[in-house]
Amino acid sequence: MNRKSRRDFLRDGWKLGGVMLAGAAGYTGYEALRPLASNASGAKVTVGSVSSFTEGTSTYVPAERLYVVNAKNYLFALSQKCPHLGCHVPYCESSGRFECPCHGSIYDLAGEYVAGPAPRGMDRFQVKIDGDNVVVDTGVQISGPPRGAKRFFTPAKGPGCIGKT
Amino acid sequence: MADVDQRALEPGRTSVDRDLTARLKRSEAWRSAFRHPQLDTPRGRALQSFSNVFLHVYPVKIPKRVLRMRYSFRLGFIATVLFGILLVTGVYLMFVYTPSVGSAYGDMQHLKTSVGFGQLIRNVHRWAAHLMVLVVGLHFVRVFYAGAYKKPREFNWVIGVMLLLLTLAFSFTGYLLPWDQLSYWAVTVGTGLVHYVPVFGGKLQDLLIGGPQVGQSTLLRFYALHVAVLPALLVLMLTVHIWRVRKDGFAVERSSAGSFAEEATERPAPAPAAAAMAAAAPDLYGGRVRLLGVVDRESVTEASRPVDDTVFTWPHLLVRHVVVALGTATVVLGLAVAFSAPLRGLANPNLTPEPAKAPWYFAGLQELLSHFDPLIAGILIPAGAVLLFVLLPYVDRNPDTRASRRKVAIALFTLLLGIAVVLTVIGTFFRGPGWKFVAPWTHSYIEL
Repeated sequence: MNRKSRRDFLRDGWKLGGVMLAGAAGYTGYEALRPLASNASGAKVTVGSVSSFTEGTSTYVPAERLYVVNAKNYLFALSQKCPHLGCHVPYCESSGRFECPCHGSIYDLAGEYVAGPAPRGMDRFQVKIDGDNVVVDTGVQISGPPRGAKRFFTPAKGPGCIGKT
Repeated sequence: MADVDQRALEPGRTSVDRDLTARLKRSEAWRSAFRHPQLDTPRGRALQSFSNVFLHVYPVKIPKRVLRMRYSFRLGFIATVLFGILLVTGVYLMFVYTPSVGSAYGDMQHLKTSVGFGQLIRNVHRWAAHLMVLVVGLHFVRVFYAGAYKKPREFNWVIGVMLLLLTLAFSFTGYLLPWDQLSYWAVTVGTGLVHYVPVFGGKLQDLLIGGPQVGQSTLLRFYALHVAVLPALLVLMLTVHIWRVRKDGFAVERSSAGSFAEEATERPAPAPAAAAMAAAAPDLYGGRVRLLGVVDRESVTEASRPVDDTVFTWPHLLVRHVVVALGTATVVLGLAVAFSAPLRGLANPNLTPEPAKAPWYFAGLQELLSHFDPLIAGILIPAGAVLLFVLLPYVDRNPDTRASRRKVAIALFTLLLGIAVVLTVIGTFFRGPGWKFVAPWTHSYIEL
């Protein structure tokens, strides 16, 4: 068995030290960059009474960056963030759809994918009915329905909004 | 005794030497800083290059062909000048700017309304940044067409690709800092891409923007990257890049068969070569040559041409560089005076502008994203392109630099370049709200 020379041993020691230092620097960098817990939302928010969300309407809740919609008498809380690249998707009153001005992705009232480059429908938050109140749990985000989901599909009410502002 | 020697070294100097300036220059303190006087003799010029840390990045002598403008179009040098302009104007801007969502936008307005030359400095910074991206890109293209990535410059090409990426990162991180609608949404879209990186995408995006959306954390980390991390990396890599340009043979030999690396291995060892040069031109080197270092291959230029085909870098190349630097500064200043850097409304996370466009150099990528899945268009294609360019000199083993012998490589590269240019032009000029086609002559949605 070949015994490692003192020089080789020290050389390996320097390499090991270097790797450990790089690891420590990397972990410290990660700790400095990772988002703090306080940055994340997650509160349960009462957004209104059940009767205030009538069928076929969308209500914007700017403080929570979400929409509460009533599609075919089902309530959904939709994230305003486009699942494509994160732009804010505005609701278009004239078409009754969500239309993203960044790359033209279009979603129906329930947030289902209709057209454009988005990979899926709009992401949703969990909704609960507490008595007469509608409570949205912003800590529970559900990935949007896949392309092709048409359960709540309704044709456009009228002309779209993109390019009209 | 020292005075007599000094005058002997300066044959052109006369009675003026006896005045105060001359006495100052002969003082111990002066000579401790400047080791020899400025001499217009071959030996003096060589000494100036050898003993000056700044001039030492240049070789003492260069082939005459390097002086021709069309040789390199000075693109690498122009990019370095632009980086210098960005450093200087960036420091000015740092005195005024605070990276806080509460004050960043106001600082931009203060620059315009309350700080003398503030808007001009910002304009110069903006235009120099755009031009640096353009010039570094053109440098990259020229180096490819010249075949200058081939042996022995493979590693320097890789460093160059890294410098191109660093330049883009520089520009992108700086884009957010004004905190207006343009910057906010361009960065939102840009960082949204990271989410599509397989497995680690979500985590990477969190680290990059520091929260669920672009906000204070994003602004602070982009600022830190922009003013500290990226400049340090760029200076480090630029130093290696320039050093390697010199050590790998100042510039590619276009007229050769492109096999200079093989020629170099057949040359005599450095010491005999140096001795031969000393013997050939005793006046030039004072009859003695010191061995400054042992290298495994010499500059292409030294062995393949006679000594009198070269000229001194100082003043021949340096004067040209000064002219190019002044020209670059003039162009940047002209653009800055003519076209102001844009400042839209204060960033509003609840209002996406129509359209939300990325900076022009990412417009091609944004165009690609409208046609393909983000994983393909935003991650796989750009990462594949970077990998291809990094590996290029190791894959393309054809040693010939002549275009007529590199038809396949040139055709493929031209095709890729053409696609990139067409996508960029479409994304920049022909896209409007909802990323729909618009004719640029009817309504312009260009964002700079």
